[in-house]
Amino acid sequence: MRLSPAFFAAALVVAGLVGCSADQDAAPAQLTDDLGRSVQVERPVERVVSLAPNLTELAFASGAGSTLVAVTSSDDYPPAVDSLDHVSALPVDFEALTAQKPDLVLATDQINPPGDTDTFDALDLPVYFFSFSSLGDVFDAIETMGTLLNTEAAARDSAQALRRRAEALRTQTADIPQSERPRVLVLIGDETLYSFGRDSYIHTLVEMAGGRSITDSLDAQAPTLTEEFVLTEKPDVIVGAWGPDYDPDRLQSLHPTWDIVPALQNNRVYSLPDDLLLRPGPRLVEGAWRMAAHLHPDRIDASSARPTVADSASAPSAP
Amino acid sequence: MNRPWLVGLGLVGTLIATVGAAVSVGSSAVGWADVYHVVLHQTLSIGPDPSPTARRIVWQLRLPRAVLACIVGGGLSIIGVAMQTLVRNPLAEPYILGISSGASAGASLFYLGFLPPLLSKTLSMPLAAFLGGLASITIVYLVARDGPRVSVARLLLAGVAMSALMASITSFITYSSPEPDKLRAVLFWLLGSLNGARWGILPIPALTTALGVGTLLALARPLDAMLVGEEPAQSLGMPVETIKRGLIVLAALVTGTLVAVSGAIGFVGLIVPHAVRLLVGVPHRRLVPLSFAVGAIFLCGADLAARTVLPAQEVPVGVLTALCGVPFFLFLLRRRAYRFG
Repeated sequence: MRLSPAFFAAALVVAGLVGCSADQDAAPAQLTDDLGRSVQVERPVERVVSLAPNLTELAFASGAGSTLVAVTSSDDYPPAVDSLDHVSALPVDFEALTAQKPDLVLATDQINPPGDTDTFDALDLPVYFFSFSSLGDVFDAIETMGTLLNTEAAARDSAQALRRRAEALRTQTADIPQSERPRVLVLIGDETLYSFGRDSYIHTLVEMAGGRSITDSLDAQAPTLTEEFVLTEKPDVIVGAWGPDYDPDRLQSLHPTWDIVPALQNNRVYSLPDDLLLRPGPRLVEGAWRMAAHLHPDRIDASSARPTVADSASAPSAP
Repeated sequence: MNRPWLVGLGLVGTLIATVGAAVSVGSSAVGWADVYHVVLHQTLSIGPDPSPTARRIVWQLRLPRAVLACIVGGGLSIIGVAMQTLVRNPLAEPYILGISSGASAGASLFYLGFLPPLLSKTLSMPLAAFLGGLASITIVYLVARDGPRVSVARLLLAGVAMSALMASITSFITYSSPEPDKLRAVLFWLLGSLNGARWGILPIPALTTALGVGTLLALARPLDAMLVGEEPAQSLGMPVETIKRGLIVLAALVTGTLVAVSGAIGFVGLIVPHAVRLLVGVPHRRLVPLSFAVGAIFLCGADLAARTVLPAQEVPVGVLTALCGVPFFLFLLRRRAYRFG
């Protein structure tokens, strides 16, 4: 389903009215973040800094994009971030961060070292850490953002819309028999074979898209695969996070021995925009749809993989 | 005396066994029988057709890598011999004297597109590495030279300083480059890895290493004389200054070519010549070829360990050589009475 900007505006107005009428919302809120830390958030939250690109996307998805004043220098989505200030997140530029006078800093333990919390405390900067280990965590994070940034209603709707869209894909691929599910290798690097190991959300995406991920039982969480592994595992499909302009011939020339791998023999090497696979944010669902369109072109229409949810991530969140 | 020949024969046998182990063991399970079939089929065209997967793994991934390990290990070892004779001190080695890191800096400058490709890419990168290594060792040598003698303290300090300087240049250019794989690049040049070996990249390092072995063998007698002292060598009518300059250029050439294909792998050239001197004594006509063999065995074995010590992952081989090499280096530093002869 499509969420119109007007719907968001209306939701925001409602949320705003509720916010104004309830006095206790002006009082500081005590919340527990994903690291188990207690975070005191002063209301209203008007100046937010995001320290990771996926958190920025989640903040926009939760309808609170307008509270962001600064994002990281790697942020490029949604387009509205171009007009915001950029601070360095790796390592955190505490000077620039303090100068932003944030009411709340959003961080994730995947990018920002949790050890930095001491520095945040010393500088009296309230920081909320997110942690993502599954696709469900991404949806939940949108709702958490809503609670943090006072856009609960919009955030709940946005999260529900994403869940429904993920469910719609699951429904479409659910009846594909095991024998027709290709064995998929998802790669982050093409020369050095960085991939996803045990417990990664990527295997959920592959499963949703109607494939079987061949790296889901590897011990390491971020393994560097060997060429031998790929030769012996013989994936039917290789999906890379190498951007939309990738030339599959490059993979063959980097790994000349792979000419007997079915994915290369049958021209089933696909590349998706890296953000759709590597950023645990709202666009993962689009990534899963686009992967599904590649894995099962006969079942999944490529145009239906062009999502409505990406719009909700970039929807104007201010009325 | 038969001992050197026995040692030599034993080493050749060990080398063959090590290469055999290196092609038989890896991240994926290829049975011994399959390995045997592949080797038999590829070399003598007899026996049944091996499975294409096994053939690629054994013949196109593991074997070129094992051969490259032998070339790099052997080449670094003989350059270690040359450096130790040049400065008449057991602590010299391409890695410690900054040649390797200089070559890394040159190669990574080229790799990341900061230097124009003068010739074809396969030649330009070794050339850039050679020039980087040459610049580094020349500075180290000039700083360390004190009249006719080379001050050991200055040599090591200058080597450490140049290593650090060149490593920081490598880190900076890889860090600031727009290439997405920059982390891998910096690890490769700083730690060394034999990943990505294939037949096509072997000829140039093989040729320069052969050139190095040949030159050092031809110079065996002058080198023996230089160990005794430069004045005695000069009084025997040997062009000592020319030989010294030649050794520096040769060291930079071989090290540069090897670093261009494998990154900076440390401490091989330190450990191996010592082990060989303990076995067969100091004459260069034995020391050079046996050091090559021991270096080849050592690095081939180290790379085998690097590939298999963690399941489904690879440790940079330079990590392992440093793990073995640093304690050895510290031990040598303490053992002042160490003598060549």
